[in-house]
Amino acid sequence: MLDIKNLSVSFDTRMGRLTVLEDFTLKVNPGEKLGIIGESGSGKTTLALSMMGLVSGQVQGSIKYKGEELLEKSEEEWENIRSTRIAMVFQNTGDMLNPVYTLIDQVMEPFLKVNPGKKKEAFSRASYLLQEVGLTEDHFYAYPFSLSGGEVQRALIAMAVINDPEVLILDEPTSALDALTKAELINLLDEIVKDKTVIVVSHDLSTVMKLTRRTAVLYAGKIMEASSTQALLREPRHPYTRALVRAYPTRTTIKDLQGIRGEFPSLVEPPSGCRFHLRCTQSLETCSLVPPPLVEEGDSFLSCHRGGVITLLQGENITRSFPRRQKGLEETYFNAVDDIDIILKEGEILSLVGESGSGKTTLAHILAGISPPTRGKVFFQEKELYSLPKKESKKQRRYLQILFQNPQEAVSHRMMVHDLVEEPLEVQGIGDKQSRAESVKEALELVGLPADSFFLHKYPHELSGGELQRVTIARSLIMKPKVLIADEPSASLDASVQAKILKLLMHLQNQQGFALVLITHDLALAGKVGDRVAVMFSGKIVEEGPTSEIFRFPAHPYTKLLLEMAPSLETEVPSIKRVVKVKYDGEKGCPYHVYCQHPLDICYEKEPELKKVNFQKVACHKAPEGKKNNKLNLVENRVSTEISGIKGEVL
Amino acid sequence: MHINYWTELKRSKFGRTGLAMISILVFLALAAPLIAPYDPWAYVGTPLAPPSGEHLLGLNDIGQDIFSELLYGSRTTLMISSGVAIFSTLISLAFGLAAALWGGLVERVILRLIDIMLIIPVFLIAILVASFFQPGVTTLIILLTCLFWPPGARIIRAQALSIKQKQHLTAASSFGAGKGYLVYRHLLPDLYPIVTVNFIQVIRRAVFMEAGLAFLGVFDPVQKSWGLMLHYASEFIFTGAWKWWLVPTGFMISYTIIAFVLIGYALESALDPRLRRQVYVGH
Amino acid sequence: MRKRYLDYILAIIIILSLNFFLPRLMPGDPLTAIYGDALLEMSPQLEAQLVERYGLDKSMGEQFIVYLGNLLRGDLGYSYYFNAPVTEVLLEALPWTLLLVGVSLVLSTIIGILIGIESGWRHGSRLDSLLLISIMFLNGIPSFFLGILFLIFFSFEWQLFPLSGAVTPFSDYTGLALFWDIARHMFLPVLTLTLMQVPRNYMLMRNSIISVIREPYILTAQGKGLKEGIIRYRHAARGALLPVITRLGMSIGLMFTGVLFIEIVFAYPGTGHLFYQALQNMDFPVVQGSLFFITVFVLLANFLTDLFIIKIEPRLREDAYQLLDRT
Repeated sequence: MLDIKNLSVSFDTRMGRLTVLEDFTLKVNPGEKLGIIGESGSGKTTLALSMMGLVSGQVQGSIKYKGEELLEKSEEEWENIRSTRIAMVFQNTGDMLNPVYTLIDQVMEPFLKVNPGKKKEAFSRASYLLQEVGLTEDHFYAYPFSLSGGEVQRALIAMAVINDPEVLILDEPTSALDALTKAELINLLDEIVKDKTVIVVSHDLSTVMKLTRRTAVLYAGKIMEASSTQALLREPRHPYTRALVRAYPTRTTIKDLQGIRGEFPSLVEPPSGCRFHLRCTQSLETCSLVPPPLVEEGDSFLSCHRGGVITLLQGENITRSFPRRQKGLEETYFNAVDDIDIILKEGEILSLVGESGSGKTTLAHILAGISPPTRGKVFFQEKELYSLPKKESKKQRRYLQILFQNPQEAVSHRMMVHDLVEEPLEVQGIGDKQSRAESVKEALELVGLPADSFFLHKYPHELSGGELQRVTIARSLIMKPKVLIADEPSASLDASVQAKILKLLMHLQNQQGFALVLITHDLALAGKVGDRVAVMFSGKIVEEGPTSEIFRFPAHPYTKLLLEMAPSLETEVPSIKRVVKVKYDGEKGCPYHVYCQHPLDICYEKEPELKKVNFQKVACHKAPEGKKNNKLNLVENRVSTEISGIKGEVL
Repeated sequence: MHINYWTELKRSKFGRTGLAMISILVFLALAAPLIAPYDPWAYVGTPLAPPSGEHLLGLNDIGQDIFSELLYGSRTTLMISSGVAIFSTLISLAFGLAAALWGGLVERVILRLIDIMLIIPVFLIAILVASFFQPGVTTLIILLTCLFWPPGARIIRAQALSIKQKQHLTAASSFGAGKGYLVYRHLLPDLYPIVTVNFIQVIRRAVFMEAGLAFLGVFDPVQKSWGLMLHYASEFIFTGAWKWWLVPTGFMISYTIIAFVLIGYALESALDPRLRRQVYVGH
Repeated sequence: MRKRYLDYILAIIIILSLNFFLPRLMPGDPLTAIYGDALLEMSPQLEAQLVERYGLDKSMGEQFIVYLGNLLRGDLGYSYYFNAPVTEVLLEALPWTLLLVGVSLVLSTIIGILIGIESGWRHGSRLDSLLLISIMFLNGIPSFFLGILFLIFFSFEWQLFPLSGAVTPFSDYTGLALFWDIARHMFLPVLTLTLMQVPRNYMLMRNSIISVIREPYILTAQGKGLKEGIIRYRHAARGALLPVITRLGMSIGLMFTGVLFIEIVFAYPGTGHLFYQALQNMDFPVVQGSLFFITVFVLLANFLTDLFIIKIEPRLREDAYQLLDRT
């Protein structure tokens, strides 16, 4: 239906040339519902307006409507197109309706334009539409100033569809509306646009999610990514899309909100290369020099030199065996970490949850590069970590850091704060005394500690637990790593300090842009912090996926149990009694089958593999493949809860 | 836990006393040539003369001034004991670290060696060897060093092994630190307290040993050693000369050993957190 | 445990070798080294006899075997000074040494432990500080000096005790009189030896008690309303005893060394005194022999202690020396 190619719009202002849209290319198929998302100033409205020929300024490129080049049309030709072929519901910012005319009057107007004189028809159609959009007769003759925002919006919609256009453009149809009105409006729109081609321009992700099938992401006038709406918002590939999704609060958002670091760039002097590179956490030198091309992959588009969010850390078939001494018998081995595959993407927070004995600390050490696995490989930035030559390995240590559980143990008590924070630089031989001192000051300020001489000369035993933990954080960050693995960073601290430290970590993660692996036994905490959660049991990952999905639809019985046992301020105490069992090499069956409520026969025989279910991965024989009825799951959850109370005691 | 041993020492009454005592002794030893009224090897009067204005402690059986002998004796004692302590501690450190860091065959050999040497009664062997060789200062230092290093090596090895496991070494290696750095920056500093304690212990034993051996007569008879003085003095008990010959000498030996006992106790108390009075530091 | 056996055997071998090779390392021939000046007064026949006896005309290796053979037969050589086989001489002196060591061991242990308990229990108090200072003071005084002082004051000046010997010479005491005589002679040496050993036991016990006091089970005992004395001994002391007992064995070895000085000072006719006499008279066979004897004895004592420890505390095993260490 619409074929936009290399559309560029710029304005000449007194501050210089403002390039609002640059090289926008997209195809819209007939009947397609397309969303355009981005922050304010990203050029979405300009894009919408340009499709109506209403944009001022210099326009370059081409927009073809059914093969016809729109940009060459004269104003007269445009008048014929507007409202009848392509219509737009404008953004309701204040006086979108003429205050001196009644509502119905204004709604009838476009119809009358096409069918002059047919007042009766116009009226009946208008009133029909107005009622369709949920307004009553009382509204017909009302004047705009007496109407609420929602009512005005509805009227605008009626006004746009009265001539039954082929293409409908909606510019922020639900912004500034309350939730209920939004919902009503979205339902309404859904109905109305059934057979039309719709372009929804919005910064409201939930609106876009509900109304569209495909979405494109705009940033500073350039398209960053385009894909099916579901995929785009559930598993964003472009760093900017990801950041947008993270900043958006929804009913199902469990993780704390995070803003996007940096500032929106000037459109007069836009950043060289990729527009997003200054705020991007994985930018390379190329990103600042050359604008990335829009690459097509099936029906998705992506504009990123690095091909989207990259995988920083990857573990394949990681196994770590320890010998176990048994009385009299020969030596057996048990796998603290059993054949685990794990991926950490750039700039994301992965929460690794498990109880003591689940193998999470062992896994952490292996991933951090300080403890080689018995089997398997770890890839960091595409390089195999444990096969590197010494020099290379040492260099990689700058980018992959680990925070240990107990700060008291992790530091030498003979070193002062200054020495401690400086140590990594010294070991790596970075900088000279002067620059190191400055880096130390910077790092300390980053974690909210004083950088004066008095503090620098303190010894660990003169600091509080929280302060010491901050010092260890400072020294892990001083080399600006790309990955930080935090092993229960707040376990040894008071609750109030815990919160501060975690908030600090999250803030640093957002600001510095490193990927964070948070290891904890507290699932509730994991939810607050992580983008993704991986649940470990007995050396294996039993469930893994985006936080919101895991928390809403836990598929593995162990995850369900953990959720239930998470701390709450309720008075009822769930009963439970069991022992963490350890899996020996070669033992058959699912490691969890001993505690499972309803194990199937196959659970005793075969180990379940990690399968994809919806957006998460589960290792359980009982979990169904593909999509499932989510509501059903919640009920099942409650039922199994009650049973688990009794079964626990019997065990 | 970081503890500054120097401050701990100074804080403890025992430590302060011990340090003061040693300081005086060191001063005497250094100043001996200036303070001593006579050359202790010179024959300056009638043997066994009682104390007088000219000779504060009288004269020994061959007419040497006892007071001067006493002063010079401090030099011998300090030189031998500190020499032994330094060298033996160095050897202990070398062997202990080698065993802890290299492990394997090296460790086994060293451990075996230490065990065997610990079983052999040190003193008796010392006497045996000394009685054949009549050692002078240097020889004695060598002999005692060879006999004193095993216990220290043992302790150092055990401590090094335990420090090796500590997490602050793992943390440093996670920054990319190599073995050398870890040993130098993390292992040795943590080893320092126990090495100090060991050092003091060795000095104490060396003082005793030197005095004892000399007392038995298995020491170079020309040297000015307190033990030797006792050796000669004990033959003349019946003369009554013991009052100014024997007693002051024995007193000096006791004084020295007590000083080290005090310092040693203060250090050990500082090391052992259970023995320390609770000193609350921090928040 | 097997390692222990090996160590002891190795130790004995080393001592034997030392004993054997040292004289042969001296300038001149071994006979001179062993008999020294006495050689001059020997008749050629006697000399030839000795040469044959020691197999000095044979090679090193064969000599060593002869030496070992002699040892096994209990032949430690012949003392020129005493005019008797060394073994005989030694065996005569041994009981006196054992007497001293035995009594002192028992006394010093009991005293050391008792005051250690009392001191440690009152950690920080006046009594504790007083005891601590006194004991440290005592610790600093060398045994020989103390012995001589005692000798001077008690025997010489005040004539309370005999000057030397184990029994009054040329007397024919029997029964109670003999007992009393021995006791009188033994008093000062035992006193000195005991006083020398007390500090070590005291310190150990005190430290042990101090750490035990912190243990929770002491609080429980107090909570039960038990009398303080009972808590002190039944609970605290009991728990604190183990390291002391373990060290006890070690002390035996050290005591043998200590007794050396005591015997010399008090001219008590034990093995130590014998050794000293021989040394002064250049009776090298006796020197060697007695030294050897004592060394083997000490080794034996250590060995038995090790066995004992492992029996009562199986946890220790190879780590036995962790506790045993520290002099």
